[in-house]
Amino acid sequence: MFLLVLAFVSLSFQQQGFDPNAKVKAVFLYNFTKYFEWPPKMKSGNFIIHVIGSNASLNQELNKMAASKQIGNQKLEIKSSQSYDGSIQPNIIFLLNDVSDKLKDIVSKNKGKGALIVTEKIGLAKAGAAINFVVIDNKQKFEYNKGNAVKAGLKTSDELTSLAIAVD
Amino acid sequence: MLKYLKSYHYFKNTLGVLMVFLCQNYFAQNDSLFKAQTFCNEKKFSQAIQIIDKVVLNPETSSDPASWHIRAYAYLQTYKQTGSSNTSKAYLLDTAMYSTLKSMKLDSKSEYKENNDGFIKNGASTYYKLCTILLQDSLNLYRSEKFYNNYRKYTIIINPTFNLKAKDIEYYNAAGGQFGELYTKNNFQQKFGDYAKMALLKVLEIDSKNIAANINLGILYYNQGATLMRELEYDVKLDQLDVVQENAKKLFKQSLPFMMKVYELQPKDARAIEGIEGIYSALLDEEKASEFKQKKEALNKK
Repeated sequence: MFLLVLAFVSLSFQQQGFDPNAKVKAVFLYNFTKYFEWPPKMKSGNFIIHVIGSNASLNQELNKMAASKQIGNQKLEIKSSQSYDGSIQPNIIFLLNDVSDKLKDIVSKNKGKGALIVTEKIGLAKAGAAINFVVIDNKQKFEYNKGNAVKAGLKTSDELTSLAIAVD
Repeated sequence: MLKYLKSYHYFKNTLGVLMVFLCQNYFAQNDSLFKAQTFCNEKKFSQAIQIIDKVVLNPETSSDPASWHIRAYAYLQTYKQTGSSNTSKAYLLDTAMYSTLKSMKLDSKSEYKENNDGFIKNGASTYYKLCTILLQDSLNLYRSEKFYNNYRKYTIIINPTFNLKAKDIEYYNAAGGQFGELYTKNNFQQKFGDYAKMALLKVLEIDSKNIAANINLGILYYNQGATLMRELEYDVKLDQLDVVQENAKKLFKQSLPFMMKVYELQPKDARAIEGIEGIYSALLDEEKASEFKQKKEALNKK
Protein backbone atom coordinates (compact mmCIF):
# COMPACT_ATOMS: atom_id res chain seq x y z
CA MET A 1 0.00 0.00 0.00
CA PHE A 2 1.48 3.33 -1.03
CA LEU A 3 1.40 5.93 1.69
CA LEU A 4 2.69 9.45 1.92
CA VAL A 5 5.54 9.96 4.31
CA LEU A 6 4.64 12.39 7.05
CA ALA A 7 7.20 15.12 7.58
CA PHE A 8 8.75 15.12 11.02
CA VAL A 9 9.48 18.56 12.44
CA SER A 10 12.31 18.86 14.90
CA LEU A 11 11.67 21.70 17.34
CA SER A 12 14.26 24.13 18.59
CA PHE A 13 14.88 25.85 21.90
CA GLN A 14 13.68 29.43 22.04
CA GLN A 15 16.70 30.53 24.00
CA GLN A 16 18.65 32.25 21.28
CA GLY A 17 18.77 35.87 22.35
CA PHE A 18 16.59 35.24 25.35
CA ASP A 19 17.70 34.39 28.86
CA PRO A 20 14.81 33.91 31.33
CA ASN A 21 17.03 34.80 34.27
CA ALA A 22 18.16 38.04 32.69
CA LYS A 23 14.53 38.99 32.18
CA VAL A 24 13.66 38.27 35.81
CA LYS A 25 16.57 40.39 37.04
CA ALA A 26 15.55 43.24 34.74
CA VAL A 27 12.02 43.10 36.15
CA PHE A 28 13.41 43.16 39.69
CA LEU A 29 15.69 46.13 38.96
CA TYR A 30 12.81 48.08 37.43
CA ASN A 31 10.62 47.29 40.44
CA PHE A 32 13.29 48.37 42.93
CA THR A 33 13.05 51.92 41.59
CA LYS A 34 9.50 52.11 43.03
CA TYR A 35 10.67 51.51 46.58
CA PHE A 36 13.50 54.04 46.93
CA GLU A 37 13.80 57.78 46.75
CA TRP A 38 17.02 59.11 45.28
CA PRO A 39 18.63 62.38 46.40
CA PRO A 40 17.47 65.48 44.42
CA LYS A 41 20.71 65.67 42.39
CA MET A 42 20.04 62.13 41.09
CA LYS A 43 16.53 63.00 39.92
CA SER A 44 17.62 64.93 36.86
CA GLY A 45 19.25 63.68 33.71
CA ASN A 46 19.09 60.03 32.82
CA PHE A 47 18.36 57.32 35.34
CA ILE A 48 21.54 55.29 35.04
CA ILE A 49 21.96 51.60 35.80
CA HIS A 50 25.64 50.74 35.77
CA VAL A 51 26.31 47.04 35.29
CA ILE A 52 29.80 46.04 36.38
CA GLY A 53 30.98 42.61 35.23
CA SER A 54 30.18 40.21 32.39
CA ASN A 55 26.69 39.17 31.42
CA ALA A 56 25.85 39.82 27.79
CA SER A 57 22.27 38.61 27.99
CA LEU A 58 21.56 40.77 31.04
CA ASN A 59 22.92 43.84 29.26
CA GLN A 60 20.83 43.01 26.23
CA GLU A 61 17.70 42.64 28.35
CA LEU A 62 18.35 45.86 30.27
CA ASN A 63 18.89 47.80 27.06
CA LYS A 64 15.64 46.39 25.74
CA MET A 65 13.93 47.58 28.91
CA ALA A 66 15.57 51.01 28.64
CA ALA A 67 14.18 51.39 25.14
CA SER A 68 10.61 51.08 26.40
CA LYS A 69 10.62 52.29 30.00
CA GLN A 70 11.27 55.47 31.98
CA ILE A 71 11.77 56.05 35.67
CA GLY A 72 9.41 58.92 36.43
CA ASN A 73 10.52 61.66 34.06
CA GLN A 74 14.00 60.23 33.68
CA LYS A 75 15.09 58.34 30.64
CA LEU A 76 16.56 54.96 31.52
CA GLU A 77 20.19 54.47 30.48
CA ILE A 78 22.27 51.33 30.82
CA LYS A 79 26.03 51.54 31.15
CA SER A 80 28.21 48.50 31.39
CA SER A 81 31.86 47.98 32.11
CA GLN A 82 34.13 45.32 33.46
CA SER A 83 35.41 47.53 36.27
CA TYR A 84 34.19 50.41 38.39
CA ASP A 85 34.21 53.78 36.62
CA GLY A 86 34.11 56.76 38.98
CA SER A 87 33.13 59.14 36.20
CA ILE A 88 29.70 57.50 35.98
CA GLN A 89 27.12 58.77 38.49
CA PRO A 90 24.68 55.86 38.53
CA ASN A 91 21.36 55.53 40.34
CA ILE A 92 21.89 51.78 40.53
CA ILE A 93 25.15 49.86 40.52
CA PHE A 94 24.67 46.19 39.69
CA LEU A 95 27.84 44.38 40.64
CA LEU A 96 27.89 40.98 38.94
CA ASN A 97 29.22 37.77 40.38
CA ASP A 98 32.52 37.75 38.49
CA VAL A 99 33.66 41.08 39.98
CA SER A 100 31.93 40.85 43.35
CA ASP A 101 35.28 41.06 45.15
CA LYS A 102 35.22 44.79 44.32
CA LEU A 103 32.17 45.40 46.51
CA LYS A 104 33.98 46.82 49.52
CA ASP A 105 35.82 49.37 47.40
CA ILE A 106 32.68 50.37 45.48
CA VAL A 107 30.64 50.75 48.68
CA SER A 108 33.20 53.07 50.21
CA LYS A 109 33.47 55.18 47.05
CA ASN A 110 29.70 55.58 46.81
CA LYS A 111 28.84 56.21 50.45
CA GLY A 112 26.12 58.84 50.66
CA LYS A 113 26.12 59.46 46.91
CA GLY A 114 22.70 57.95 46.30
CA ALA A 115 23.59 54.80 44.39
CA LEU A 116 21.60 51.64 45.11
CA ILE A 117 24.15 48.82 45.18
CA VAL A 118 22.83 45.47 43.98
CA THR A 119 24.82 42.23 44.00
CA GLU A 120 24.23 38.55 43.23
CA LYS A 121 26.45 36.51 45.51
CA ILE A 122 25.70 34.82 48.82
CA GLY A 123 26.59 36.95 51.81
CA LEU A 124 26.97 40.30 50.06
CA ALA A 125 23.94 41.92 51.68
CA LYS A 126 25.93 41.67 54.89
CA ALA A 127 29.05 42.99 53.21
CA GLY A 128 27.72 46.33 51.97
CA ALA A 129 25.11 45.72 49.26
CA ALA A 130 21.61 47.09 49.80
CA ILE A 131 20.10 44.34 47.68
CA ASN A 132 21.54 40.92 46.96
CA PHE A 133 19.96 38.40 44.57
CA VAL A 134 19.77 34.87 45.91
CA VAL A 135 18.35 31.64 44.54
CA ILE A 136 15.82 29.86 46.73
CA ASP A 137 13.94 26.79 45.56
CA ASN A 138 14.92 27.37 41.91
CA LYS A 139 13.54 30.91 41.98
CA GLN A 140 15.13 34.32 42.04
CA LYS A 141 14.65 36.09 45.37
CA PHE A 142 16.46 38.98 47.00
CA GLU A 143 17.92 39.96 50.33
CA TYR A 144 17.42 43.51 51.49
CA ASN A 145 19.68 45.34 53.89
CA LYS A 146 17.85 48.57 54.69
CA GLY A 147 20.79 49.90 56.69
CA ASN A 148 23.09 49.67 53.67
CA ALA A 149 20.55 51.51 51.53
CA VAL A 150 20.35 54.34 54.05
CA LYS A 151 24.16 54.53 54.23
CA ALA A 152 24.18 54.85 50.45
CA GLY A 153 22.05 57.99 50.77
CA LEU A 154 18.68 56.60 49.74
CA LYS A 155 15.28 57.07 51.35
CA THR A 156 13.68 53.69 51.76
CA SER A 157 10.23 52.19 51.89
CA ASP A 158 9.27 49.61 54.50
CA GLU A 159 7.07 47.94 51.91
CA LEU A 160 10.10 46.39 50.26
CA THR A 161 11.05 44.64 53.48
CA SER A 162 7.87 42.57 53.34
CA LEU A 163 8.76 41.34 49.84
CA ALA A 164 12.38 40.57 50.63
CA ILE A 165 14.53 38.42 52.85
CA ALA A 166 15.54 40.99 55.40
CA VAL A 167 19.22 41.15 56.34
CA ASP A 168 20.70 43.33 59.04
CA MET B 1 1.08 6.45 -6.44
CA LEU B 2 1.75 3.73 -8.98
CA LYS B 3 0.16 1.11 -6.79
CA TYR B 4 -2.79 3.38 -6.18
CA LEU B 5 -3.36 3.78 -9.93
CA LYS B 6 -2.87 0.08 -10.47
CA SER B 7 -5.50 -0.72 -7.90
CA TYR B 8 -7.85 1.79 -9.49
CA HIS B 9 -7.50 0.18 -12.91
CA TYR B 10 -7.81 -3.20 -11.31
CA PHE B 11 -11.18 -2.19 -9.87
CA LYS B 12 -12.27 -0.82 -13.19
CA ASN B 13 -11.43 -4.02 -15.03
CA THR B 14 -12.79 -6.38 -12.46
CA LEU B 15 -15.98 -4.39 -12.22
CA GLY B 16 -16.88 -5.41 -15.75
CA VAL B 17 -16.58 -9.07 -14.86
CA LEU B 18 -18.42 -8.45 -11.66
CA MET B 19 -21.25 -6.68 -13.42
CA VAL B 20 -21.78 -9.58 -15.80
CA PHE B 21 -21.81 -11.97 -12.92
CA LEU B 22 -24.21 -9.89 -10.93
CA CYS B 23 -26.47 -9.35 -13.90
CA GLN B 24 -26.80 -13.08 -14.47
CA ASN B 25 -27.59 -13.88 -10.88
CA TYR B 26 -29.66 -11.03 -9.70
CA PHE B 27 -31.59 -9.66 -12.61
CA ALA B 28 -34.46 -11.94 -11.96
CA GLN B 29 -34.38 -11.26 -8.26
CA ASN B 30 -34.32 -7.58 -8.24
CA ASP B 31 -34.83 -5.13 -11.02
CA SER B 32 -33.66 -2.19 -8.93
CA LEU B 33 -30.32 -3.78 -8.18
CA PHE B 34 -29.87 -4.39 -11.90
CA LYS B 35 -30.68 -0.75 -12.66
CA ALA B 36 -28.12 0.39 -10.12
CA GLN B 37 -25.54 -1.85 -11.73
CA THR B 38 -26.39 -0.48 -15.14
CA PHE B 39 -25.93 3.08 -13.95
CA CYS B 40 -22.60 2.10 -12.47
CA ASN B 41 -21.53 0.61 -15.81
CA GLU B 42 -22.54 3.86 -17.46
CA LYS B 43 -20.60 5.78 -14.78
CA LYS B 44 -23.82 7.49 -13.70
CA PHE B 45 -22.97 7.02 -10.08
CA SER B 46 -25.31 9.60 -8.56
CA GLN B 47 -28.25 7.90 -10.27
CA ALA B 48 -26.96 4.53 -9.14
CA ILE B 49 -26.79 5.79 -5.57
CA GLN B 50 -30.41 6.99 -5.64
CA ILE B 51 -31.49 3.45 -6.43
CA ILE B 52 -28.99 1.45 -4.43
CA ASP B 53 -29.74 3.40 -1.24
CA LYS B 54 -33.29 2.06 -1.50
CA VAL B 55 -32.11 -1.44 -2.42
CA VAL B 56 -30.15 -1.82 0.81
CA LEU B 57 -33.22 -0.81 2.80
CA ASN B 58 -35.48 -3.28 1.06
CA PRO B 59 -35.90 -6.44 3.20
CA GLU B 60 -35.59 -8.60 0.07
CA THR B 61 -32.17 -7.27 -0.85
CA SER B 62 -30.80 -5.79 2.38
CA SER B 63 -29.13 -9.08 3.29
CA ASP B 64 -27.63 -9.55 -0.14
CA PRO B 65 -23.86 -8.91 -0.15
CA ALA B 66 -24.16 -7.81 -3.80
CA SER B 67 -26.41 -4.88 -2.83
CA TRP B 68 -23.89 -3.55 -0.35
CA HIS B 69 -21.01 -4.25 -2.69
CA ILE B 70 -22.59 -2.24 -5.52
CA ARG B 71 -23.36 0.52 -3.04
CA ALA B 72 -19.74 0.58 -1.86
CA TYR B 73 -18.54 0.78 -5.44
CA ALA B 74 -20.97 3.58 -6.37
CA TYR B 75 -20.00 5.66 -3.35
CA LEU B 76 -16.30 5.04 -3.82
CA GLN B 77 -16.47 6.17 -7.45
CA THR B 78 -18.60 9.18 -6.56
CA TYR B 79 -16.02 10.15 -3.96
CA LYS B 80 -13.21 9.83 -6.52
CA GLN B 81 -15.15 12.07 -8.90
CA THR B 82 -15.15 14.86 -6.30
CA GLY B 83 -11.41 15.21 -6.73
CA SER B 84 -8.27 13.72 -5.35
CA SER B 85 -8.53 13.25 -1.60
CA ASN B 86 -11.35 15.70 -1.06
CA THR B 87 -11.55 16.21 2.69
CA SER B 88 -14.98 17.86 2.64
CA LYS B 89 -16.65 14.94 0.84
CA ALA B 90 -15.13 12.25 3.01
CA TYR B 91 -18.61 11.17 4.12
CA LEU B 92 -18.91 9.49 0.70
CA LEU B 93 -15.82 7.46 1.48
CA ASP B 94 -17.22 6.67 4.93
CA THR B 95 -20.40 5.32 3.32
CA ALA B 96 -18.38 3.29 0.82
CA MET B 97 -16.36 1.71 3.62
CA TYR B 98 -19.42 1.05 5.77
CA SER B 99 -21.11 -0.65 2.79
CA THR B 100 -18.02 -2.71 2.06
CA LEU B 101 -17.93 -3.95 5.64
CA LYS B 102 -21.62 -4.89 5.42
CA SER B 103 -20.98 -6.76 2.17
CA MET B 104 -18.03 -8.58 3.72
CA LYS B 105 -20.11 -9.59 6.71
CA LEU B 106 -22.93 -10.93 4.54
CA ASP B 107 -20.65 -12.55 1.96
CA SER B 108 -20.58 -16.03 3.49
CA LYS B 109 -19.44 -17.61 0.19
CA SER B 110 -16.63 -15.07 -0.28
CA GLU B 111 -17.99 -14.21 -3.74
CA TYR B 112 -16.97 -10.55 -3.40
CA LYS B 113 -14.00 -10.99 -1.12
CA GLU B 114 -11.34 -9.95 -3.60
CA ASN B 115 -13.13 -6.78 -4.62
CA ASN B 116 -14.20 -5.92 -1.10
CA ASP B 117 -10.64 -6.33 0.12
CA GLY B 118 -9.56 -4.02 -2.67
CA PHE B 119 -12.11 -1.43 -1.61
CA ILE B 120 -10.92 -1.57 1.98
CA LYS B 121 -7.29 -1.31 0.94
CA ASN B 122 -8.11 1.63 -1.28
CA GLY B 123 -10.13 3.28 1.48
CA ALA B 124 -7.36 2.83 4.05
CA SER B 125 -4.76 4.51 1.85
CA THR B 126 -7.19 7.33 1.03
CA TYR B 127 -7.89 7.92 4.73
CA TYR B 128 -4.15 8.12 5.35
CA LYS B 129 -3.80 10.66 2.58
CA LEU B 130 -6.67 12.67 4.09
CA CYS B 131 -5.11 12.59 7.55
CA THR B 132 -1.82 13.92 6.21
CA ILE B 133 -3.57 16.68 4.26
CA LEU B 134 -5.51 17.78 7.33
CA LEU B 135 -2.39 17.70 9.43
CA GLN B 136 -0.03 19.50 7.09
CA ASP B 137 -2.31 21.83 5.18
CA SER B 138 -5.37 22.49 7.28
CA LEU B 139 -3.80 21.85 10.68
CA ASN B 140 -6.99 20.23 11.89
CA LEU B 141 -5.73 17.67 14.37
CA TYR B 142 -9.17 16.50 15.46
CA ARG B 143 -10.31 15.55 11.94
CA SER B 144 -6.86 14.35 10.96
CA GLU B 145 -6.81 11.97 13.89
CA LYS B 146 -10.30 10.74 13.01
CA PHE B 147 -9.11 9.86 9.50
CA TYR B 148 -5.94 8.34 10.88
CA ASN B 149 -8.03 6.09 13.12
CA ASN B 150 -10.05 5.07 10.06
CA TYR B 151 -6.78 4.23 8.31
CA ARG B 152 -5.81 2.07 11.28
CA LYS B 153 -9.20 0.36 11.41
CA TYR B 154 -9.23 -0.61 7.72
CA THR B 155 -5.55 -1.47 7.53
CA ILE B 156 -5.89 -4.02 10.29
CA ILE B 157 -8.89 -5.58 8.53
CA ILE B 158 -6.79 -6.19 5.41
CA ASN B 159 -3.57 -7.00 7.18
CA PRO B 160 -4.09 -8.10 10.80
CA THR B 161 -0.33 -8.43 11.40
CA PHE B 162 0.52 -4.96 10.12
CA ASN B 163 2.81 -3.07 12.51
CA LEU B 164 0.56 -0.19 13.45
CA LYS B 165 2.81 0.85 16.31
CA ALA B 166 5.44 2.12 13.89
CA LYS B 167 2.80 4.00 11.95
CA ASP B 168 1.31 5.45 15.16
CA ILE B 169 4.73 6.72 16.17
CA GLU B 170 5.29 8.26 12.76
CA TYR B 171 1.87 9.92 12.76
CA TYR B 172 1.92 11.31 16.30
CA ASN B 173 5.55 12.42 16.05
CA ALA B 174 4.66 14.31 12.88
CA ALA B 175 1.58 15.83 14.57
CA GLY B 176 3.61 16.80 17.64
CA GLY B 177 6.34 18.42 15.58
CA GLN B 178 3.84 20.18 13.35
CA PHE B 179 1.89 21.72 16.23
CA GLY B 180 5.04 22.41 18.21
CA GLU B 181 6.34 24.46 15.31
CA LEU B 182 2.99 26.18 14.98
CA TYR B 183 3.12 27.02 18.67
CA THR B 184 6.47 28.73 18.13
CA LYS B 185 5.43 30.55 14.97
CA ASN B 186 2.12 31.78 16.36
CA ASN B 187 3.37 33.71 19.32
CA PHE B 188 3.24 30.66 21.59
CA GLN B 189 -0.51 30.10 21.46
CA GLN B 190 -1.28 27.70 24.26
CA LYS B 191 -3.69 25.50 22.27
CA PHE B 192 -1.02 24.59 19.71
CA GLY B 193 1.43 23.73 22.46
CA ASP B 194 -1.17 21.54 24.14
CA TYR B 195 -1.99 19.71 20.87
CA ALA B 196 1.70 19.06 20.35
CA LYS B 197 2.16 17.71 23.86
CA MET B 198 -0.88 15.46 23.56
CA ALA B 199 0.43 13.95 20.32
CA LEU B 200 3.99 13.46 21.59
CA LEU B 201 2.80 11.89 24.83
CA LYS B 202 0.89 9.36 22.71
CA VAL B 203 4.20 8.42 21.06
CA LEU B 204 5.77 7.87 24.47
CA GLU B 205 2.83 5.69 25.55
CA ILE B 206 3.83 3.37 22.70
CA ASP B 207 7.59 3.79 22.95
CA SER B 208 8.89 5.52 26.05
CA LYS B 209 12.40 5.55 24.58
CA ASN B 210 11.47 7.37 21.41
CA ILE B 211 14.20 9.99 20.98
CA ALA B 212 12.27 12.39 18.74
CA ALA B 213 9.23 12.54 21.03
CA ASN B 214 11.33 12.91 24.18
CA ILE B 215 13.43 15.70 22.74
CA ASN B 216 10.46 17.58 21.28
CA LEU B 217 8.51 17.29 24.54
CA GLY B 218 11.50 18.54 26.51
CA ILE B 219 11.80 21.51 24.16
CA LEU B 220 8.07 22.21 24.27
CA TYR B 221 7.90 22.35 28.06
CA TYR B 222 11.05 24.47 28.18
CA ASN B 223 9.68 26.85 25.56
CA GLN B 224 6.41 27.19 27.45
CA GLY B 225 8.31 28.13 30.61
CA ALA B 226 10.53 30.54 28.69
CA THR B 227 7.44 32.07 27.09
CA LEU B 228 5.99 32.89 30.51
CA MET B 229 9.19 34.75 31.30
CA ARG B 230 9.37 36.42 27.91
CA GLU B 231 5.83 37.77 28.23
CA LEU B 232 6.53 39.34 31.62
CA GLU B 233 5.98 43.09 31.71
CA TYR B 234 8.91 44.93 33.24
CA ASP B 235 6.63 46.66 35.72
CA VAL B 236 4.80 43.55 36.90
CA LYS B 237 4.40 43.61 40.69
CA LEU B 238 6.94 41.61 42.64
CA ASP B 239 4.36 39.26 44.16
CA GLN B 240 3.05 38.48 40.65
CA LEU B 241 6.61 37.96 39.45
CA ASP B 242 6.94 35.26 42.06
CA VAL B 243 3.83 33.49 40.71
CA VAL B 244 5.17 33.61 37.15
CA GLN B 245 8.54 32.30 38.32
CA GLU B 246 6.78 29.45 40.12
CA ASN B 247 4.78 28.49 37.01
CA ALA B 248 7.83 28.70 34.76
CA LYS B 249 9.81 26.62 37.22
CA LYS B 250 7.17 23.87 37.07
CA LEU B 251 7.43 23.82 33.26
CA PHE B 252 11.23 23.75 33.32
CA LYS B 253 11.08 20.85 35.78
CA GLN B 254 8.62 19.04 33.52
CA SER B 255 11.00 19.53 30.62
CA LEU B 256 13.97 17.99 32.40
CA PRO B 257 13.01 14.26 32.54
CA PHE B 258 12.40 14.12 28.78
CA MET B 259 15.80 15.61 28.02
CA MET B 260 17.47 13.40 30.64
CA LYS B 261 15.88 10.37 29.01
CA VAL B 262 17.46 11.29 25.69
CA TYR B 263 20.78 11.87 27.43
CA GLU B 264 20.57 8.45 29.11
CA LEU B 265 19.83 6.77 25.81
CA GLN B 266 22.28 8.82 23.76
CA PRO B 267 24.93 10.37 26.03
CA LYS B 268 26.56 12.11 23.09
CA ASP B 269 23.42 13.78 21.78
CA ALA B 270 24.46 17.43 21.50
CA ARG B 271 20.88 18.72 21.52
CA ALA B 272 20.10 16.88 24.75
CA ILE B 273 23.28 18.09 26.47
CA GLU B 274 22.69 21.67 25.38
CA GLY B 275 19.04 21.39 26.34
CA ILE B 276 19.83 20.11 29.84
CA GLU B 277 22.33 22.91 30.32
CA GLY B 278 19.62 25.42 29.34
CA ILE B 279 17.03 23.84 31.63
CA TYR B 280 19.34 23.82 34.66
CA SER B 281 20.32 27.38 33.90
CA ALA B 282 16.63 28.37 33.79
CA LEU B 283 16.18 26.56 37.10
CA LEU B 284 19.06 28.68 38.44
CA ASP B 285 21.08 25.57 39.23
CA GLU B 286 24.41 26.91 38.12
CA GLU B 287 26.37 23.90 39.34
CA LYS B 288 24.43 21.47 37.17
CA ALA B 289 24.28 23.92 34.28
CA SER B 290 28.05 24.23 34.43
CA GLU B 291 28.44 20.43 34.50
CA PHE B 292 26.50 20.09 31.26
CA LYS B 293 28.20 23.11 29.74
CA GLN B 294 31.51 21.31 30.24
CA LYS B 295 30.07 18.17 28.68
CA LYS B 296 28.92 20.20 25.70
CA GLU B 297 32.34 21.78 25.30
CA ALA B 298 34.05 18.40 25.60
CA LEU B 299 31.76 17.03 22.91
CA ASN B 300 32.47 19.96 20.62
CA LYS B 301 36.23 19.40 20.96
CA LYS B 302 35.97 15.85 19.65
